[in-house]
Formats: sequence, structure tokens, C-alpha cells
Amino acid sequence: MISRRKKILSFVITAVGLLVLFLFSVNTGSLQVTPGQLFSGLFIRFDETVATIFDLRFPRIFIAMLGGAAIAVSGVLLQAVMKNPLADPGIIGVSSGASLTAVLITAFFPALYFVTPLLAFLGGMVAFALVYSLSWKGGLSPLRIILVGVAVNAMFTGLMSAFNSGTGSSYSGAASIVNANITMKTWDDFQTLAIYALIGLIASFFVAGQCNLLALEDKTARSLGMNVTRSRIVISVIAVLLASISTAVIGPISFLGLIVPHIARLLVGSSHKVLIPYSILLGAFTLLLADTVGRTIAYPYEISASIIMSVVGGPFFILLLRRSKQNYGG
Amino acid sequence: MADSIFTVKDLSFAYGKQPVLQHLDVQFQQGKITTLIGANGCGKSTLFHLMTKNLKPDAGEIRLGSENIQSIRPRDYARQVSIVHQYNTAPADLSVGKLVSYGRTPYHTMGISANPREDEEKIRWALEITHTQKHKDKPVMELSGGQKQRVWIAMALAQGTRTLFLDEPTTYLDIRYQLQILKLIRTLNREYGITIIMVLHDINQSLYYSDEIVAMKGGKMIAQGKPEEIVTPALVKEVYGVDLQIRRVEDKPFVIPV
Repeated sequence: MISRRKKILSFVITAVGLLVLFLFSVNTGSLQVTPGQLFSGLFIRFDETVATIFDLRFPRIFIAMLGGAAIAVSGVLLQAVMKNPLADPGIIGVSSGASLTAVLITAFFPALYFVTPLLAFLGGMVAFALVYSLSWKGGLSPLRIILVGVAVNAMFTGLMSAFNSGTGSSYSGAASIVNANITMKTWDDFQTLAIYALIGLIASFFVAGQCNLLALEDKTARSLGMNVTRSRIVISVIAVLLASISTAVIGPISFLGLIVPHIARLLVGSSHKVLIPYSILLGAFTLLLADTVGRTIAYPYEISASIIMSVVGGPFFILLLRRSKQNYGG
Repeated sequence: MADSIFTVKDLSFAYGKQPVLQHLDVQFQQGKITTLIGANGCGKSTLFHLMTKNLKPDAGEIRLGSENIQSIRPRDYARQVSIVHQYNTAPADLSVGKLVSYGRTPYHTMGISANPREDEEKIRWALEITHTQKHKDKPVMELSGGQKQRVWIAMALAQGTRTLFLDEPTTYLDIRYQLQILKLIRTLNREYGITIIMVLHDINQSLYYSDEIVAMKGGKMIAQGKPEEIVTPALVKEVYGVDLQIRRVEDKPFVIPV
């Protein structure tokens, strides 16, 4: 078991890492400032360079951090509900269901942009309900969820690409969601994300105890007075909300919701009261890292964070699948 | 006759079109150890799952005292009835102490305890009575089968209920650990007045450790009473479909299972 000291150490190191990465990311690009200049430009007196960075780079950085946190926690919650360490909002199609909806709204009903997150949430719920009901055969086999999820995901992703190609990528707002491009994000986008993501993240703290009980057998959780079905629904809704909101703003990011919770469990253990807060930190760190690497690796060109995540996440997922055979009989 | 704690009235249940229980009537007495026995598929497990609210009856009702258990909220039920199921798992890094503390869940609201001192007392008592105190900081899943079973019982005991249900608590255990568990169950009943209702596989352990036997066949109860009064070769033949001899040792009946 992991000692208390090691858990605290993990929190501290990750938090410091996030801060350093944040400062590095702020300073990556054609404009550069010293930390002192940044501080004075932000809080003391106007500085043109800092103001430009504030308008162009800050929203993107904050969106990456909050989105990463939301997707990571979404993964933690889905894994608890499905009792499946391989569940990930990207892999099982929740993100693509949400982004397809977001794409259609952006393209056809641009006037409805202010409810896009909510409609994306509906799209995510539809995908989730599809996967859940189609994989149900008197129980949820971990492998069947993944297989059905892959199919649902492929279908939604295909529809989205078909739409994008069929319109000659002329709807740039829609295309940026399809490609999970967070280059041109503004403070407005951050605000949209922040409202819903914070609601979801706060709600996740309240269901941490229930997630712990779900790790026992259902009958045993029920014997402790838990309404297992209701808890599953509530936790799923929070998970889908978090994934859909981030998807509506950022686009679908695969594997993040899988990798972060997995590493987090190794570092701080499986109690959700610790796992959820830590996944927030590590999720923010990971997506910001992916975005920053994507910005620097082929400068002046950019590789989107979702592509970085897929390239790194694919092999990681295969590794998990191979290891999980011993633990989950998949 | 002692007060009955559970009253099963005209209970019917079917899996799809396959009827399992038909118009079953049974009374369970307070303060006793009652064991359900019967051949595979006789309906004893189904009755167990109906009484523990894992299944809903198609017709009829089960009363706890004077209340239909269907109308008792899960949390309130968990304050009156605790259950040890046959098969259990826990996350690899969950400690015994933490698991046993889950037994206090029915007394928490939004994860906050109304009475932390009582929680602590009950948890300590549960760990002591099951002799799992020394494993408190170890991961549950690293314990032996017998130790694990005592930990699951400890979690149920932390609920502080008057009734304890156990579904085949000795299955998969060596004889030595089987006896440990059965003696623990007897202590809980004799010294702490906890009503025990269980399903046991072993006929002789059922007869030896129970105050009451409920024998079932084909979804019906065919006999109920003290083991020494009801167990005869004819009953054994009816329940299990085999001719077996019965010997008496210290006035208790034993079936020779060969």
C-alpha cells in the first residue's frame, strides 16, 4: 500500500510540475517575457507584450488545463461505474457523440452557440446510453464495453469526418472541433468550459464515497444501504457532462481519461477521495504538456494536443490491455 | 413461541417464466440461528436474495416486524439488517480497517458521520470480535480465505444491526476456518443476541449450529423446527433424494453423508 507521505509527495511534485509547465508554456512562442515582467504586466502596470500573451496564450493554456482535468476525472468516474479500468470517454464514444452534436450545432444552428455545451452533453449521453445498453448481457463484461464502444466511436467519428469532408471543411468552427484544435481559443471559450466543468468537478467530489463502494460487489454495496442503480446513473451523468463539455470546447481527446487515472492509481491508490483530486492535477498537467509539446516540437507548425495524446496513448492502451488480462480476465 | 422477526407471506417469485418460489410462508424467529437447507435449485438462495432486497417478489410479501421490506428505504434497511454475501471483492490496496469502516455507511449523510465516536466504537468492536484487529492496516485481498471472510463479517457487524444474514459463509474454506466462522457466528448470537439467518452447504454443520432449520424443496418449505425434532431419514430423503442414516451424538442428529 502507498504511504501517506508518498501520496502527499505526489501531489506536491505534480503541482510544482504544473506550475513550471505553465510558466514554460506562457513563454513558448514568438513572444517571450521574463517571469518578473509577466507578473508586473498582469498585476501592476500595462505591458503590451504581456497583454498579447494574456489574450492569445492564456485562454488556450487555461482551457488545456481545465479540459485535461475534466477529461481525466470523467475517465475516473466511468471506470468506477463500469468497473472497468479501460473505460475512457474517448474510446467508448462519449466524446465523439458530444463532438458530432457540437459540430452539427456549430454548422447549422450557429445562433444556438450558447447552448452548444448542453446539446453536446445530450449527444454524449446518447452515445453513453448506446454503449451501456448494447454491452449489457446480464452484466457488463469489460471487453464487450470496449468493443461496443469502439464501434459506436467509429460510427460517430465517421459521421463527423463525412460532414467535414462533405462541406469542404468550410465551416471552420466545426472543423476546429473535429480536429481538436485549441489554437484560436478565446476567453469566451474558457468561460463556457469553466462554468460547466467546475460544476462537474465539484459534483465529482460528492460522489467519491459512492465510487469507493462501487468497487465492491454490487450486492455488498447494496447491503450497505446504497442505491446502486441510482448511484451509477448519477455518476455516469457527471462523467458524461465533464467529457462532453471539454469535447464541445476542445474536441475529442482520446486516451487522456485512461492514462491519467491509471498513473494516478499507481501513485496515490484507488480511494476516490484522493484519486479524483489528484487526477484533476495530473489531467491538467498532461493535456497542457501535450499541447505545449505540440506547439514546440515542429515549430513554427503545430501538432494538436489530441494527436499527441493518440500517438502516446495508443501504445499505452495496448500495454494496459495486455496487463489487464491477469487482473480482469478480459 | 418466540417473537418472529421476519414473516414471509404467500411469497412467489419467478425468473422469467421459470417459477422458483410459489406461495411460500415462513416465519423467522428473533434471537435464533436459523439455517435454510435444501438441494441445489430448491429456492433457498432465491429466498435469501428476496429477504436481502436484491430481488423483488412477484407476489406476496416479506415483513420485518410489521413493515413490508419493499417499503423500507435501503439505508434504513441497512441499519437493521446486515448481509455477508458469498462472493466478495475489494480493490487491491483497500485496508482491512478502511473496509470495515464502510460498514458505517448507512449512518452517514453525504459522507459525513452524525456520530464519529459511535462509528469508531462499532468498528473497533467489529475488528475485535472477529479477531481481525491485528490485520487492520493490511490490504484485505492479501489475507487468507478464512481471514478475509472474518473481515467481511466485521464490516457487516460494524453496521450494528440486530439481524445478520450470511450466504454460505464457509464455502471454499478449510475445515479449520469453517469451524472458526461457525463458532464466531454462534458467539454473535449467544453473547450479543444477534439474530442469524443463513444458507449453509454442509448438512451436519447446519444441524449442529442452528436453533432452527428451514428445509426447502421445489420452492416450498417442507419442514421447519429444531434440528433434533425434525430431522429424520424420511426428511433427508425428501430434501436431497438420497437414503442416508442418522446418528445421534450428545442428543444432536448427524447425517452420515455416504
